[in-house]
Amino acid sequence: MIVSELHLMTPELSLLGFALVVILLDLFIKQKKVLAGVSIAGLIVSAGFTLAMWGAPTIDIFYAMLAVDRFALFFKFLLLAAAGLIILASQDYVSKFERFQGEYYALVLISAVGMMLLTAAADLISIYVALELSGISLYVLASFLKDQKSTEAGLKYLLLGAVASAVLLYGMALVFGLTGKTCLLCIADVVETMPIAGLLDNPALLLGIILLAAGFGFKIACVPFQMWVPDVYEGAPTPITAYLSVASKAAGFAVIVRVFFVALGAPSWLSIDWGILFAILSAITMTLGNVVAIVQTNIKRMLGYSSIAQAGYLMVGLATVGVAVGADALGRSGLLFFLMSYAVTNLGAFIAVIAISNKIDSDLIGDYTGMGKRAPLLAVALTLCLVSLIGLPPTAGLIAKIYIFNAAVHHGLLWLVIVAVINSCISAYYYLRVVKVMWLGAPVSEEKVPSSWALRASLSLCCLGVLLLGVIPGSFVGMAEAAVRIFGS
Amino acid sequence: MTYHIPWIVFLLPLFSFIIISFILRPFLNYRPKLGGYVTIGAIGAACALSFWLLVEVLSAPGHKLEIPDIQWLLIGDLSIHIGLMVDALTAVMLIVVTIVSLTVQIYSQGYMHGDPGYHRYYAFMSLFTACMLGLVMADNLVFLYLFWEGVGLCSYLLIGFWFHRPAAADAAKKAFIVTRLGDFGFLAAILFLFYKTGTFDIGELHGLAIAGTLTGTTLTWVAIGIFAGAVGKSAQFPLHVWLPDAMEGPTPVSALIHAATMVAAGVFLVARFFPLFENSEMALTSVAVIGGFTAIFAATMGLVMTDIKRVLAYSTISQLGYMMLGLGAGGIAIGIFHLFNHAFFKALLFLGAGSVNHSTGTFDMREMGGLRKAMPWTYATFLIASLSIAGIWPLSGFWSKDEILVSSFANNPILFYLAMITVFMTAFYMFRAVFLTFGGEYRGGASSEHGSHGAHQLHESPKVMVIPLVVLAALSIFSGWLNVTGRFDEFLGHGEVHSFTQGFFGILTHPLPWISLILAGSGILLAYAMYSAKWLSAEAIGKAFSPFYALFSRKYWFDELYERVIVGRVLVDGLFAGCGFFDSRGVDGAVNGVADGTAAAGRALRQAQSGQLQVYAMAIAVGIVAIMVCFYLFG
Amino acid sequence: MFDIVFWILAAVTVGAALAVVFLRDVFRAALCLVFLFFTIAGIYITLHADFLAVVQVLIYVGAISILIIVAIMLTREVWRGSPSGRLRIPALVVGLLLLGMLMFTAMSTKWHISDVPPQEPTTTAIGAGLFGDGGFLLPVEIAAVLLLAAVLGAIVLIREK
Repeated sequence: MIVSELHLMTPELSLLGFALVVILLDLFIKQKKVLAGVSIAGLIVSAGFTLAMWGAPTIDIFYAMLAVDRFALFFKFLLLAAAGLIILASQDYVSKFERFQGEYYALVLISAVGMMLLTAAADLISIYVALELSGISLYVLASFLKDQKSTEAGLKYLLLGAVASAVLLYGMALVFGLTGKTCLLCIADVVETMPIAGLLDNPALLLGIILLAAGFGFKIACVPFQMWVPDVYEGAPTPITAYLSVASKAAGFAVIVRVFFVALGAPSWLSIDWGILFAILSAITMTLGNVVAIVQTNIKRMLGYSSIAQAGYLMVGLATVGVAVGADALGRSGLLFFLMSYAVTNLGAFIAVIAISNKIDSDLIGDYTGMGKRAPLLAVALTLCLVSLIGLPPTAGLIAKIYIFNAAVHHGLLWLVIVAVINSCISAYYYLRVVKVMWLGAPVSEEKVPSSWALRASLSLCCLGVLLLGVIPGSFVGMAEAAVRIFGS
Repeated sequence: MTYHIPWIVFLLPLFSFIIISFILRPFLNYRPKLGGYVTIGAIGAACALSFWLLVEVLSAPGHKLEIPDIQWLLIGDLSIHIGLMVDALTAVMLIVVTIVSLTVQIYSQGYMHGDPGYHRYYAFMSLFTACMLGLVMADNLVFLYLFWEGVGLCSYLLIGFWFHRPAAADAAKKAFIVTRLGDFGFLAAILFLFYKTGTFDIGELHGLAIAGTLTGTTLTWVAIGIFAGAVGKSAQFPLHVWLPDAMEGPTPVSALIHAATMVAAGVFLVARFFPLFENSEMALTSVAVIGGFTAIFAATMGLVMTDIKRVLAYSTISQLGYMMLGLGAGGIAIGIFHLFNHAFFKALLFLGAGSVNHSTGTFDMREMGGLRKAMPWTYATFLIASLSIAGIWPLSGFWSKDEILVSSFANNPILFYLAMITVFMTAFYMFRAVFLTFGGEYRGGASSEHGSHGAHQLHESPKVMVIPLVVLAALSIFSGWLNVTGRFDEFLGHGEVHSFTQGFFGILTHPLPWISLILAGSGILLAYAMYSAKWLSAEAIGKAFSPFYALFSRKYWFDELYERVIVGRVLVDGLFAGCGFFDSRGVDGAVNGVADGTAAAGRALRQAQSGQLQVYAMAIAVGIVAIMVCFYLFG
Repeated sequence: MFDIVFWILAAVTVGAALAVVFLRDVFRAALCLVFLFFTIAGIYITLHADFLAVVQVLIYVGAISILIIVAIMLTREVWRGSPSGRLRIPALVVGLLLLGMLMFTAMSTKWHISDVPPQEPTTTAIGAGLFGDGGFLLPVEIAAVLLLAAVLGAIVLIREK
């Protein structure tokens, strides 16, 4: 019975297989570029399997450990795309650890496997194990450079990640203790029939929810569980920073949405309570992220805080529970669309930063002066991505914000939308400052900034994504809506 | 199927822009010709499809194609539509824009040969054409305004194409800022309309105006706001100052701007909203008066210019004035028919000027002369275009100008007399240009700058430049014949059809055409007398009328008025200084306060980011405790 | 009987944990940690979780504590101990609050207590639960991949720069 379900895991299995191939090939092959090629091939194969399964009916496999549904497939595809772009963009970066490229690519693939499992996991146990699988790989990747900053980043990430895991496990234990179940649907059955009318009557469930939110909140960098972000983002190799900010965050949101909407969504008093929790955390997160980003001078740290702020906007989608006018899953599909838009945009921004910083050997915003003349294409791409992060036309960011804010208004969260719009205005200041430095500043040297074709290709793909999502969002909206249909209404 | 065609027509040049700027320019920069081929291919295909659309529109009921809106975005119950409309007006504009753009693009392959910014040039040209096509097909005001600004932006980019020349950069800025002044009126009108009617849809707005729901002062103000936008774009008095300076761009760009895209947009806009104007007597009269006045006002300045492109620029303003007069006094068909004919002969004139420049290296007519022998094709086509613009029977300019004169005669005699004088002036300044450029002996070209640039170097332009000239020359002769039978008028909504021969020769049985022909002929004769046969000394006449000469050649001191008095005194010293005072004391204080506050908060919060691991871990614990406590306090 | 043993073990566990936190000598703190692991194994036994107790001794006492002690011996300047941070007081407050919160939660929740007698021995049940029908086979396999990632990570991190 189990063997017959294996074919439903082909995306993960094939990717894992390719990761093993990469490790083995690494022993025999001198030309390390081949490894990147193999990794990309693995991602493409896996993505092919994912796409092939898109039309299949929803099913739980391995005794309800994993769900095979469009929600998971949507995220798997997003993660695979992110990993592929990261590997392409790493081409200019891997020279810093020439001999260990095999391990680098293998770890990227394995963490992708972990995150893919995380998005599909339908049981607290499989969620935890998948979380650790992606976590361990990312801790190592963060300290891959082995210089002081990178090591510090890896260590901090590991230790705080362990704290967050402990918190998460405690939460899971409380929920398990209360319901006696670990599978999300079983928990939902128990919670639905609980003979209580408020969270305060049930401290264990309340604390369980808070601890789950905190544990997952670490993953998505929501305030006050975001402290690791700037240090780790600054120290980690830039491609891994991008990977953390996009893939890890997307997987975190996937698991939050699944746990909270599947297991804890049913009685409306419950979901409204944690909806308020997320709404308040969302407002705090976006405000703190934006305000602190203003004073940053290092572009990686700035993008780190900006990614915290973006997590705040994304959490608006988590807050949209309860009675709504119009379509009810609007907040969740908005969250998925926002994640798509955020993924291409943020990856694009980081990839441009990789190329520029590699040449000028600095991450300081001030050193980006005159990049419009030294590297016009990179500067255009970075500008486009920053404009999208602000949320201006004709980019993905605008549609994403319209989408998710519209959902929030429908759910009566007007105050949150106002906070978010004010925050968007604040954010324009520090994003545009980079644009200004690049285009209006005088270049410090006439030297051009070179970049490999692989990096240019990944950057072009990101920019294409930003524009496609911004100009013809229709089909992507349809995908997001199809993905969240599994939650019912 | 038919309703896909307008989209394809719009998207072809847009894709050409995308391909050139994102594929050809970064990766194939060493193959400059490719960009041209892509553009020509795209616009050629768009042109062919425009003819198909014209045929479709001709046979469609009410001369209007039903094109279903495309739902651009549907989020919950928020639905945003985009749509195109193709009616008779659009069909005619599509033909004009695509033909002129196509000939200009082909011509540019020769003219821009070897320019380092080749790909950039074609990318902007494609985008320019795409915006104009979108503008003429847009079915709602938001879309239309988007492309309206897009056209403005592209003309800014193209006028300033050689941005390293200060004159070009200044001209681009001037064009952008002056047209923006008009755009404020347009934007205000759009917002006011939406506020009053709740719709952006042009068809619905027409319906409201015709049904009389939209009426009175509201309608008048809206119409005047829209007309303000048109005045800016079409360089009508008093916002005409940007167009002559726009010469600084590459000459094919001038051809496109003057003939089919930028300035035509203003006339098109008035035509598009004609039902609104029609129902407001005052708005319609303003259009006619501004148009008629601009026609003669610009013509006087054209009399004395020495730069061939400036002569042509003032003639464009003047002819645009005619179009506005035609719209105001006669209706859509009369104004648009002149736009239709004018597009071809004006594009031809500019391309001819470019061809002359290609050979002599200058635009100054005082340094030209005698080019008739060296450049026979250019000379012949330029002559045809000049005859056409002067309104000589049976060339195209004659037919549309005659209609404008007839309608203004019926409507407003004063404007009619002004228009008649303008006919004389037009003929004079055009043939002054012809005789100075092509007649007499060669006067050295740009030799003063480039050392010896002897007559032996004079040459006819390459085929790729001459063929567009010939095509446009043919159109300059025959395009007017479309309305000899009255078919064109009927197509655009009024007038009746009669037989071709009756129209073609019958028109000469009326006195009015004869008067205008005599005026035009005497204008040509005077030019001949002064600049070719030298019976009259141009200098002597210039001295005799020196006050006028100074007035005209200094362009009525409008540049000085705007730059020194309005910008210098009123704005900089008065308004800006006042605002600056308020700004630095009031607004700045508040803004700085907020900004400083935010930055200070950022710095304070950054303090917490000490890098100490224990603090970070404690934050997690504090967060959990705080959330729990809040739940018990407020939950 | 179990109750008495539990309370003794609990008291020793807390005492050991406090010693780990408050001892300035890292080596002694590590030894207290080993002791702590032992007492936790004892608590498992009182809960009828014999297999878990054995695993606790094998892995935590056997492997992890050895690792910690070796790491301490390889680290220079370890004898100076961990520097005292400025965070003592705030950390104490937060720790106490957290403790209070957890205790309040545990005490005031109406837990659903199972009346099924504990299984003995647990090994079979755990084996069936991990590998049998309806069990946690997939997480076990994922854990295997996790170990692979950890090994890879170890190789990368101990490399020469």
